[in-house]
Amino acid sequence: MSPVTATVVWAAALLIAWLWRPRRGATPSAWILLITFGALGAWALWFGLYAHPGEPASLAFWKPTILYWTLAAIVIVVPWLGAGYPAKVILGTYFAFSSREWRSINRGLAAVCIILGGVNLWAAHQASPKDWEGFKYGCNMILLVIVLFRLNFVWLPILADVCIYFYRRATAAYRHLSSWLA
Amino acid sequence: MPSVERKPEHLVRLIWPEGRSEQVTLGATGKSGGAGEIFSIDGKPGFVAKIYHATTTPAHLARYRRKIQWMIDHRPELPEVPVEYQDIVQLAWPEALILRQSRFAGFLMRKIAFDRTLELDYLLNRRQAAEEGFDADYGRLVTVAFNLASLINCLHAKRIAIVDLKPMNVKVYKAELYVSILDCDGFHIATDEFRSDAPQVTPEYLAPEFQDKAVAHPESQDGFALATIIFRLLNYGIHPFTGVAGDKRHYPPELAGRIKQALYPYGRIASKSVRKVPASVHEAFPDPLRELFDRAFASCGYSRPSAHEWVDALASYASKQSGSMSPCDKGHLRFSGKPCPTCMRDALIRGAEVRRRSFLARVKNAPARTLKYVRKTLRQTHSSPFQAALAQAQITLVQLAPAAPISTRNAIALEILWISGLLIAYWWAR
Repeated sequence: MSPVTATVVWAAALLIAWLWRPRRGATPSAWILLITFGALGAWALWFGLYAHPGEPASLAFWKPTILYWTLAAIVIVVPWLGAGYPAKVILGTYFAFSSREWRSINRGLAAVCIILGGVNLWAAHQASPKDWEGFKYGCNMILLVIVLFRLNFVWLPILADVCIYFYRRATAAYRHLSSWLA
Repeated sequence: MPSVERKPEHLVRLIWPEGRSEQVTLGATGKSGGAGEIFSIDGKPGFVAKIYHATTTPAHLARYRRKIQWMIDHRPELPEVPVEYQDIVQLAWPEALILRQSRFAGFLMRKIAFDRTLELDYLLNRRQAAEEGFDADYGRLVTVAFNLASLINCLHAKRIAIVDLKPMNVKVYKAELYVSILDCDGFHIATDEFRSDAPQVTPEYLAPEFQDKAVAHPESQDGFALATIIFRLLNYGIHPFTGVAGDKRHYPPELAGRIKQALYPYGRIASKSVRKVPASVHEAFPDPLRELFDRAFASCGYSRPSAHEWVDALASYASKQSGSMSPCDKGHLRFSGKPCPTCMRDALIRGAEVRRRSFLARVKNAPARTLKYVRKTLRQTHSSPFQAALAQAQITLVQLAPAAPISTRNAIALEILWISGLLIAYWWAR
């Protein structure tokens, strides 16, 4: 897929997301996460697809740390500003917890992100390249777990809804067509 | 008629039993077997010639010549046929020697009218038999079985055995129901003055005691093959050793292995090791026949019925006057006092067809049923308490947050953002 095609596909998907967005206000912590990921995404789009050689070489070691520490910063600062718990934005789809429990989870998430960012720096500079690759691979498993969670609890029910929608449309069309032919 | 070019090797000399010789010309028929090729003979439409392949060694040819000469001199007495059926050929028996350039090349035999006959193999499948113009009701099938047993009995009386007896080697006259046995030059002969072995066998018709061994008792082998053919004739082609594994022990996939282990599931005492196939109608056979089948297949040769016993047992069923066969309510012939095998078979097939249609309907409705189930699960509207419990069990593994009241489009929009976020995170973390 060429960079232009990838950009167009992504932009089209975001356009659909904008048109179908829920017409109710998002929490401030959700907005902050959205804006942050928008910035990280713009960087990724530019340096990942269009200007890859122009990216500073030393940044490769820092990239995972930037992600984890940015997340950690948001997770720590946003509740301090009174804008809610970002952990609830990430995990609230699945679990129902009290505010106190969300605070603890938020702190845990911050600790994990800080540790992961630090370990990445240590592994990038002190460990062998193979071990560093192994560490990054292990971290990506967290993303896989999130994907599996969303697949089970969100994407499959949405798919079922979509299937039901198309099934209804197809049966209605069939009835209409058969009555028209009769 | 177009003239056919005759090669010199098509000019042969017939030596008749009384010593008379005659020069004739052969015509190719395109039919060839393992040992030789069949030719027509100019001016003799009632005969054909079997010429052994050119690759046959002189030693083999000499052995064939001795055997054919003995057969010409010792024609067996065959079952009597009515005067109007005198043209029926019950055995493709050698009638004259054929010499080519004064050397033995083959033999002459009477021609079997292929337009009036069909292979016995066809009778094992009723549809194929019907396509060939043969109405295979039980009366006719029993008559064919009786005629085959009579013919074999006559051969055994002369100490001649077929050994490689199988449906493909037997022709049946469609109207007259007499049978004709092919490949007579492969018969086993064991008289006082002459002996010739028959090395050719077919494992599916070979008795268990001769599997992987030489056939030591050819008449017993014929008894086994005859019983197998009769069983298949009466049981819609089902081989007596076709079955379903009844226990966990190894069930040989090939018929020869099952024959060797005597895995016969159609006995009057049910086998524990193997079960019958559901389509079998053997329970509609009369008791004397079932006893003969049991002795043929479950005895390992000790008390296997001879062709003579089969003739005795089948004679009354083959005779219309005996009353041993009577019509059922639907007009099919059946063994008197027994359920009608044709009706039994129809019921079994109809049941199988109903089950097949039901299965196909279930498969066809599966997507709609699945969607219905998913929809009920999502809306929590299962009417069955079991399904409701099952649906709840799927989501009570974790304490879920209450479902947000958003539409599918809203959910898709949010998931686009989630997928974008995950891709971005992957790019930064990789």
